[in-house]
Amino acid sequence: MRRMIRLMLVAGSIAIDCRAQLPDGAGKAIVQKACGTCHAAEIVMGRAMSKEQWNTVVADMVTKGAKIADADFPQIVDYLAVNIGPQAAGGGRGRGGRPAGGGAGPSDMHVVNAAAADRGRTVYIAQCVTCHGPTARGAGDGVPESQKGPDLVRSLTVLHDRYGNTVGPYLRKGHPMQSGRASASLTTEEVADLSHFLHQKLNDTLRSGPYSKVLNVLTGDPAAGAAYFNGAGKCSGCHSPTGDLAGIAKKFDPPTLQQQFVFPQGRGGRGGRGQVSTAKPVTVTVTPASGAAVSGVLIALDDFNVSLRDSSGDYKSWKRTPGLKVEKHDPFQGHIELLDQYTDKNIHDVVAYLETLK
Amino acid sequence: MTFKKTSATLTLLATAMFGQVPDPAKPPTDSWPTYNGDYSGRRFSPLAKINASNVDSLSLAWVYRINTGGGFGGAIKATPLVVDGVMYFTIPDHVWAIDARTGREIWHYTWESKGGMHIGNRGVGISGNWIFFETPDCHLVSLNAITGKERWRKEICDIDQMYFGSMAPVIVGNHVIVGVSGDDLDIPGYLESRDSETGDLQWHWNTTPKAGEPGSETWPNAEAMNHGGGMTWLSSTYDPEMKTIFLGTGNPQPVIAGKGRKGDNLFTESIVALDVDTGKLKWHFQPSPHDTHDWDAIQTTVLIDGTIDGQPRKLVAQASRNGYFFVLDRTTGKNIVTSQFVKTNWAKGVDRKGQPIADPAKEPQLDGALVSPNQGGAANWPPPSYSPLTELFYINATRAFSIYYIYDTDEKPEGWGGNDRGGWSESMLEAIDYRTGKVRWSHKWEAAGGRSGVLSTAGNLVFAGDPANNLVALNATTGDPLWHANLGNGVSNGPISFELDGTQYLVVAAGDTMYGFAMLRK
Repeated sequence: MRRMIRLMLVAGSIAIDCRAQLPDGAGKAIVQKACGTCHAAEIVMGRAMSKEQWNTVVADMVTKGAKIADADFPQIVDYLAVNIGPQAAGGGRGRGGRPAGGGAGPSDMHVVNAAAADRGRTVYIAQCVTCHGPTARGAGDGVPESQKGPDLVRSLTVLHDRYGNTVGPYLRKGHPMQSGRASASLTTEEVADLSHFLHQKLNDTLRSGPYSKVLNVLTGDPAAGAAYFNGAGKCSGCHSPTGDLAGIAKKFDPPTLQQQFVFPQGRGGRGGRGQVSTAKPVTVTVTPASGAAVSGVLIALDDFNVSLRDSSGDYKSWKRTPGLKVEKHDPFQGHIELLDQYTDKNIHDVVAYLETLK
Repeated sequence: MTFKKTSATLTLLATAMFGQVPDPAKPPTDSWPTYNGDYSGRRFSPLAKINASNVDSLSLAWVYRINTGGGFGGAIKATPLVVDGVMYFTIPDHVWAIDARTGREIWHYTWESKGGMHIGNRGVGISGNWIFFETPDCHLVSLNAITGKERWRKEICDIDQMYFGSMAPVIVGNHVIVGVSGDDLDIPGYLESRDSETGDLQWHWNTTPKAGEPGSETWPNAEAMNHGGGMTWLSSTYDPEMKTIFLGTGNPQPVIAGKGRKGDNLFTESIVALDVDTGKLKWHFQPSPHDTHDWDAIQTTVLIDGTIDGQPRKLVAQASRNGYFFVLDRTTGKNIVTSQFVKTNWAKGVDRKGQPIADPAKEPQLDGALVSPNQGGAANWPPPSYSPLTELFYINATRAFSIYYIYDTDEKPEGWGGNDRGGWSESMLEAIDYRTGKVRWSHKWEAAGGRSGVLSTAGNLVFAGDPANNLVALNATTGDPLWHANLGNGVSNGPISFELDGTQYLVVAAGDTMYGFAMLRK
């Protein structure tokens, strides 16, 4: 068993090496620049997410302040989808390993072995669950006072533990167990397995944990959603259930459908930036004081300069002066205006309606 | 108008204003000795050699790139300190001393890390010849300012509980005020004072109360309280006359799923006044009672010596992450102004104490609730500024929407238990009238995203970063953009200004590089 612990410690040290290093791959430098401003590499390591999920996460980050150039956006998403996660070469660490907690916690933190945690669950259910509860968060209200054990996820003995090195000595001192067996009789292997299980429960509470997912957004009334779609929401002015939205519910699961409908920009609404994942970019028309108007896909706009790519693929850039007219056209302006108008019920109703479009 | 005359008037006015402030650490012109420049948190420079009429002549004087490999964790979020012509700044695990006139490196100290969140470090504190900084693995470290050699290290938090250090220590006399960061696990926040000579503990203030203490009535039970969060992420401000420090505290834990912590959850997301010598709580005001949106109320609590209804008042102001701007009487904590500095949708109104009343329907829901602002907030850690000349409070603000979800349906959610997703946002630099809370002017940036700190100066200028990587100088009175430099990365800290040998410098960080601008034209 000692050998096993040593092996796991070695695995832990590999995790340390990963702290500073993202896997090599196309786009790594861009990811480091865009994400590394705020995050340690661990925040992405071990996240088994699809390209679509990464798309959502990276767009989220833009709304939270990430500076990501349009051209970089798809490269970042591609890099993350290809190089990060269990499917990636080199192996990521998902639920079974070190949590992708953004680098929180010590470098030598316990790395969970999933098989050991499964064995530990068996020990836990046989000896501990009555007093400490099914999620190890302590006994529920229905448990008699005499059997109420504390929350083990918040236990300092567990938090300071590595592979049983504090949990083991604690149990050897004698601790009541539900089978009546003496806690000191737990084998080193059983203690280590229990430690893996408890650390897994701890990891489950982190932001990156396996339960960090949307559960059920289908709570609305499809008929009310259809009425809103065709009425107050004015959705039918641009969209049709038999046209662009035909079969939309087959393309997206309900949580994604909800996000796509409320935030179709997919880019966190970077006003003035072109779209990447959609065929509907923000466009701009620039009219110099003398000369013809030029229109194209907006590349960049600030108080001082504007640039676009025209239909022939040419990049053009101007200094903004009082004589230069700049008109921006955001194809999602209607959706942006809805943010201030609709209620949560409207949103849930429309999602329920869109879900009928299979 | 001729600017010379205005400039002279402004300078006179500035002198008069500062003459009224009995602060021993009044803003010096040849240094920037604390995180916020002075104890007030105003980030106002009384210098006017760089001003609204000549800022278009501002030149690049030097560039210093940190060369630590860049990438993850490598952005300079620290506000540099400048003392005796030397500039000190940090990123996580690193401290530099560089020549403030030239950007030349004097020394570079590297800390060997045992882990912790490397999301950012706000900078150092300095007292005499000693530098103080926090590390991601929970240490307070003191260095010799001349040599960069370590004097001592003290553990200030438990890395196994996922605490980490990121704030810039504040030095008051022999007190080194240190805060703690971290909101992955359900752990309590606290603030400590450490002895500047030895690093030993002088006092410890817990954000959440113990059973039976004032504030405990706002929690359902002792366990929720003992694991209730409230981190002390940012540097306090200080009123020497009152011997009182002011700060905002972080979000309650669990962060999003709040059903196990019913009640207001004091003193999380609160503006608090503490005795600097004892750490004893004098008063509190809570911007977000029982928050479930991660809206830490940690934004700088700016001290304003102003007037209300013609009467001189000692005030404290905060543009809070939840979208509300608050002005309080800092001697009593009583609310004077509550207003929205961006439009929000989460509150039903304001109670008699001036605190927003949360709408339960806008708490995170299983099927999602559309909330504004988003988790990033209307403001975040980047520091605001207040100019006593324009009497305006400047903040790089964000208006954003996202959908908040509950993920954890357990009877006892822990950690986060939910999150927000998606979003749309717009960004603007705002100037707020502290007497009314009304936005006097708002300069909307053409793009969204990106946040930076703000500096105002007696040159009638405001310096801020825009979302397109520009450092922009705006007219402090009107909000008109006057000058810019595209730095290739977004402005990642709060700009500072100081004068050496008759030259006014303006220093700002963008990503892994520090830029020194100066009025080199004679």
